[in-house]
Amino acid sequence: MKPSELKKFIIGSLDENTDPQLSAKRLVEEGVLFDFSKGFSDKVLNKIMSGTDAVTREIEFTRSMRFAFNRVALTGVAAIVLLLLSIFLAEGSLSFNSFLGIGDTYDEGIISMLTGK
Amino acid sequence: MKESYRQTDENELVRASIAGDKLAFGEIMERYRKMVARIVKGMLGDSVYAEDIGQEVFIKLYHSLPEFRGEAKLSTYIQKIAINLTLNEIKRRKRFFSMFSQKGNSEMYEYEIADFESEEKRDASELVNKALKELDPKFRIIVAMRMLQGYSTKETAEILDLPLGTVLSRLSRAQEQLKEILKKL
Repeated sequence: MKPSELKKFIIGSLDENTDPQLSAKRLVEEGVLFDFSKGFSDKVLNKIMSGTDAVTREIEFTRSMRFAFNRVALTGVAAIVLLLLSIFLAEGSLSFNSFLGIGDTYDEGIISMLTGK
Repeated sequence: MKESYRQTDENELVRASIAGDKLAFGEIMERYRKMVARIVKGMLGDSVYAEDIGQEVFIKLYHSLPEFRGEAKLSTYIQKIAINLTLNEIKRRKRFFSMFSQKGNSEMYEYEIADFESEEKRDASELVNKALKELDPKFRIIVAMRMLQGYSTKETAEILDLPLGTVLSRLSRAQEQLKEILKKL
């Protein structure tokens, strides 16, 4: 097809009443081909496989973080229980004042301490 | 694992690919590689960037296959991924070029003319690439779908999720723009 014919054909191929499939086929016959380079599929598969490794590593990392978190959380809970027990044994109760270490201080005592009377 | 999937049904290919069968996914790529190339290269031009987007299309497809429910055709599903990724790339480039350059849309389209069996075929490919390069990106997808993929206006509207009237008007405007472009070439 001469360039002038090809130009006409391109414009005509967008007409609503032309068969788009036939036009597309004709363009291919004229050498208008679109394809990816050689080795395209191999590159994609390699990327997918290396990507899968990355995903696996990410999953493994999350799993170890979760495991570490469980250990830390268990130790933390044990520490809190021990703290509560020691407060209870030392102060005789688990009130807010006991937590602040002022469990056996009377209000009058604080007032006289602050005012000096 | 099967030696060859040439005759295999699409649904089975999808199932095998989800199960991690490289050969099955390779067959899906083989079947739809050219279709994706027509969309991506038709819109971005024949360049290394288009190759990268093409690779991204199949990588995204591989990871989203478990979500593919088979309600639509696999080809439609792949085309949607290709169109979305290509449009995103066009938007990204538009932002980049609007920041660093005052040049027009044609800068977003690059092409390399590969080896052809004859001078005439090379000229035909060059002419189409040049015309697409000059075309407004908004019209390029409509032209690529019709002229390169062979889809009807109705099919184009369905794939692009656009009203039929919009596709028709864009097609007509694209045709006008192409006439002007081709006059200069």
